[in-house]
Order: sequence, then C-alpha cells, then structure tokens
Amino acid sequence: MTKSSFQRIAGAALAALGVALMATPASAKIGSCIDPIVFGTTLSETGPFSTLAGRWRKMTEVFVEEVNKTGGVMVKSCGKKLPLKFVIYDDQSVPATAVALYEKMATVDNVDFFVGPDWSSLGGPVPPVADKHKIPMVMANVATPSVYDRGLRYIWGTPFPVVPRWSERYFDMISKVIPKPQSIYFVTHDNPVMKGITATWSKKAEAQGLKVLGNETFSSELKDFTSLIAKVRAAKADIVYISSYDNASVPLVQQMRQLKVRAMDVHHTMLTGSLARQVGADIEGMTGELSWYPGIKGAYSDLVETVMKRSDVTMFDYIWTLGRLTSYLTMIQGIEKAGVVDREKVKEALFKATVKSPAGDVTFDERGFADTGAFTVQMQNGKVVVVWPPEVATGKVVWPSPTWQQPQ
Amino acid sequence: MSFDVLLQVLIGGVLLGGLYALVAFGLSLIYGVVRILNFAHGTLLAVSGVLASLAFSAWGMQPLLIAALLAPLMFVCAYGYYHLLLRPLTKRNHFESTVGTVLVTVGTLMMLSDITAKAAGATQRNIPLRLPAIEFGEIVISTTQLLILAGIVLLTVVMHLLLKRTWFGRAVRAVTQDATGAQICGVQSTRIKALTFAFGSATVAIAAVLYVLSFPVDPYMGFGLTVKAFTIIVVGGIGNLPGALAAGVFLGVAEGLTGLYWKPEWAPAISVVAMLLILVVFPKRVGARI
Repeated sequence: MTKSSFQRIAGAALAALGVALMATPASAKIGSCIDPIVFGTTLSETGPFSTLAGRWRKMTEVFVEEVNKTGGVMVKSCGKKLPLKFVIYDDQSVPATAVALYEKMATVDNVDFFVGPDWSSLGGPVPPVADKHKIPMVMANVATPSVYDRGLRYIWGTPFPVVPRWSERYFDMISKVIPKPQSIYFVTHDNPVMKGITATWSKKAEAQGLKVLGNETFSSELKDFTSLIAKVRAAKADIVYISSYDNASVPLVQQMRQLKVRAMDVHHTMLTGSLARQVGADIEGMTGELSWYPGIKGAYSDLVETVMKRSDVTMFDYIWTLGRLTSYLTMIQGIEKAGVVDREKVKEALFKATVKSPAGDVTFDERGFADTGAFTVQMQNGKVVVVWPPEVATGKVVWPSPTWQQPQ
Repeated sequence: MSFDVLLQVLIGGVLLGGLYALVAFGLSLIYGVVRILNFAHGTLLAVSGVLASLAFSAWGMQPLLIAALLAPLMFVCAYGYYHLLLRPLTKRNHFESTVGTVLVTVGTLMMLSDITAKAAGATQRNIPLRLPAIEFGEIVISTTQLLILAGIVLLTVVMHLLLKRTWFGRAVRAVTQDATGAQICGVQSTRIKALTFAFGSATVAIAAVLYVLSFPVDPYMGFGLTVKAFTIIVVGGIGNLPGALAAGVFLGVAEGLTGLYWKPEWAPAISVVAMLLILVVFPKRVGARI
C-alpha cells in the first residue's frame, strides 16, 4: 500500500469515526430527566398488511404532538413531564425485517421502550428481541394467545378484541332480543384466528341454548360459494355467524344476497369500511364488532378522537387503530406508574396491571395478555351504529334485520 | 341433501365452469397455434376485471360497452407484446425459446399484478349489477347469471364459427397443423401467430367482464385461474373449444359438488386432482387439436 492510499483510508476512517461520535443516539441515558422518552416501533407501511396500517405513521406523529402539547409524560422522580419521541421504521409486513429493525432500535437507536409490532405473524419472532435486551414491549394487534405463552417477561399486548371476548356483547344482545333466535350457523374463514373465534363462540352459543346447525369452513381462494350457501339456506338458521377477515368474505356476502339467504341476522366478525366499500348496499342490516367508536366516552377518548381526526383515520376503515393507540397509552401509563424512565421499574409497573383506554379498563394477566372486548354494531341506512351494550349505544338494534328477513 | 340444493349447486357449477372455459379458450388457442404457455393469461383476466370494475364504478359504463372497449385494447396490447417480447425468442434454439417464454410470461404475470395493485389497490373488485332473481321453490337463479350464461354460449358459438368458417380460422388451423406447409401455401404464419396471440388475449377481456359480474377479482388471483385453464385444456384437448366448454363445466360442477358433499375449502383444489387423474388415466388425451 502506498503512503498516499494509506493516508486516504486512514482519513476516511477518522472521518467516519468522527461522524459516528457526533451522531447522537435516539436516547442518551436511561433514567435521564433531560432527554425525551423514546419509543421505538415498526409499522407495516408496505407489504400485505399495509392496507390495515396505511395512515398510522401520520397518526403516530400526531399522537406525539398531542401528548407533547401537554408537556409530555409525567415522570415522578424527575418532578416534571418529559417530552415523547418516536423512532419509526417500516417492517414491510415481513417478520425477518421486523426482527432486524427491533435489534437496530435496541442497539443503534438505543430507544427506551418498544411499542408494536402488529399482527401475529410478526408478534411471534419479534418479542424475543425485547426479552434479550430487557426492553419492555407493548405489542399492538397481536391477538394469538400462544405468542404470550412462551415465558417471555418483557412483553404485553393490546389487541382489540381478544378471541375469548370477541362476540361477548353480541351474544349478550341476542339473549335479550325479541323474537329470540333459536339456531345459529357458523361460516368460518380458514385462518387460525377465525377458527379460534368459531371454536370459542360455537361452544358459548350452545351453552346459551342456541342450536348450532352447522359450521362450514372456506379458503381465501374460494370465489363461488353456491354450495356453501345452499347448505346454509337449507338449514334455515335464525343467525348466520360469519367468522372471517373482511376481504375473504366479500364474495360470500354478495352471493348470500344474490341467493336470497333469509335469517333474523347475519353477523360478521369483521364489519369494516373495506367490506362496506366492496359489497355496497349488501352490507345493510348486518351486525358486527367494533372495538371502539368516537362518541363513546372513556379515558383518553378525547385525545384519541383528536389524533384520529387530525390524521384522517376512522375506526371503520382502520379497525385495528385502537389496539395500536392503546399500546402507546399503556406504555405511557406504565412509565407514569413506575415514576421513572427505567425499564425494570416499568416492567414491574405493568405486571398484571390495569390500564385505562377509551374502551374501558384493560387488565393484563401474568403473560401480558389483555382482556379487551368489543362493542356490537349494526349497519343502518349505510351508517355504523353502536347497538350494544345499551348504556353506550348510539342507536337501537333493528331486530330481526328487515334486509335479511325479506331479501330484495 | 335435498334435490333443490343439488340443483342449485349444479346451476352454479355450470355457470362457473362456463367462465372457466372462456378463460381456457384463449389459452388453448394460443398454445395450439403459437406454442407458448402463457402463464400471464389468468392475470390478464384479473387486470381486465379490475379495469372493468373501475370503469363501472367510476363512469357507470354498461358491461357490454366495457367489453367492447376492453377487447380491442387488449388485442392491440397483446399484439405489441408478442412482437416486442415473445417473437424474438422464437429465433433461439428450442430450449432457450421454451425457458425464455416461461420467464417472460411469469415475469409479466408478476409485473402486471404488482402494477395493478399499486395503481388500483389490492382489494377485490367486481361489478355489483343486481338484476331481479327468478325463484323456483327453493332454487334461486339471478337474471345476471342467465345473461352471463347466454354470453358464454354466444361467445363459444362465435369463436367456433370463426375458427371453422372464416379464412382466419382456416389459416389458424393450417399453422397449427404445419407452420412451414402453411407458409408455403401463402399463409403468413408469423402474422397469424401474432394475431392468434392477440385474439386469444382479447377473448380474456370479454371473459373478464362476464367474470366480474358474478365473482370478484383482485390483481393477484391470475395464476390460480391459469392453472384451472391448463386443467381444462388437458381435460378438453388443446384448441378444442367444445371440449374446453365441456371440461370447464365438468370442473365447475366438480368444485360445486366438492363443496356440497365434502368441504368448501377443498373446492379450489379439485382442478389439480382432476388434471392428475386425467393425465394418469388418459395420458394421450392432451394431443387433441383444433
């Protein structure tokens, strides 16, 4: 190597070192009362889940602005509020990418805490990163209970709703409506979460005195539902309970209308804006679940409403939004309870904790799994109306649903 | 299971099978004449279906008009595509030509799907045209379905007559039987191949409009349809339009009965099972010609 080339390489190395030294990590010191509190998260901004989380970066930025408007997060040991800051990456809906990004946030960005990720496919491989670095992580929409059964000590999750409470309020409603339904038919999307919902709620239906007339499972590839619908029609069930993701069930709902399925009610576990846009008027009269709806007052509901309004996010279009925002609110409450920006103290504060959310209190079990529920909604004149429980309802349930009693 | 239910499923199966057959017509024609396994064929239906749905929802265009516009558009695009990307491969040796066409058509499939998803979204779309339904006891037949069925029959007859009674049809059959011999007799086989590729693609555009009247499409569903079309070709015979129609109906009814007597989640897989059975039981059936 010549002297000049050595000098060039050495110069470049020194310059790189200088840049590295000057670059400040996202968080300087744990427990600091000067630096902002830094949450690290990933969003599925691209890839197959991007339609579910399209506007969440803007929403997260607005959330930070709104929290910091009031001074930030109260830290008792500092005797003041500390501002909040986020490090956000796009996980591309890919588990391996998400794992690499959380490693980066733990080792390069030095974030204080993790919030997110979403989706069970990412919720499987990512939490061990949090456990390895001992960084508390409140995941958002990771609903599969087995994710929480691995003995990991630094994870919590705020999916809305969890499978064991998914249709709790709907089944409460149908036990009180007149005329009382006598039978139910389950139609299930071939997917672990949806199968879990059917398994749970078909048992509860029987326990409630409803006769379960059948359970048909369908794959996402199925476009012609004639045979399935012919069975449902022949069974003449009072309730048709569709346990499915919204997109997979679009042809099912449309063909049920075409083939004039009659029932007291057709219930869909994922009644969303996307489904409404795709099936149009066919959705009229259907009931479903929604984790929360603006107008239902609860803790932080004003903050959440403001954030959603400013970032142009609606619950009906982005039904997983409450899970995402509650993960932020949970971590903030964990820090406030701990009274110090200390990962171990926050971990202790969140263990089996009860935190506030716009939809009510959320209590975590020893695994970090929440007990969140959902409200029952019905499509009435093209709008979403919360119909159960009565104390928070924005309208009365129309029972039996006229559009399914006398199909046009 | 009552007879009404069975009849309802059979009607649905015939309709679905007819649509499958329409998709297979073009692919069968293209393979029979041009000798190209066009893996992007089903994706052309998906993309055309998305375009048809957009035209219906954005401008309220009638399905017949959409088909009348989409078919020539697809014809021109496919004609250009053949000359630009596929024809140059015919000058290479057999191995390179075969592998090259597979790579080009699979690449086209992926690009078309991604571009359509980016431009129009990845969610499912259809033409929610609701016409009054006819009820016979427990059996319900929608007028839309009857019109689609009429469209399928009409298109099959037109294509059959076109291939049997016109100069273009005779030229197509001549190139299929012996391209060199046809060339000697004055048929411009290269031009006929390009026209056949374009014609086969244009039929998909019409099939797409009929398809989205009954079932939703999304940019990524094309490959599954291509597999079904291949199955129909195997069962019905290459370039054999009545055979393809019969095979399509067989497949549609088989899917319906699988859902009825077994489980609906297994219905989409029955086409692959049927293809394997046909190949094992009738290994020479694939050799049928126009």
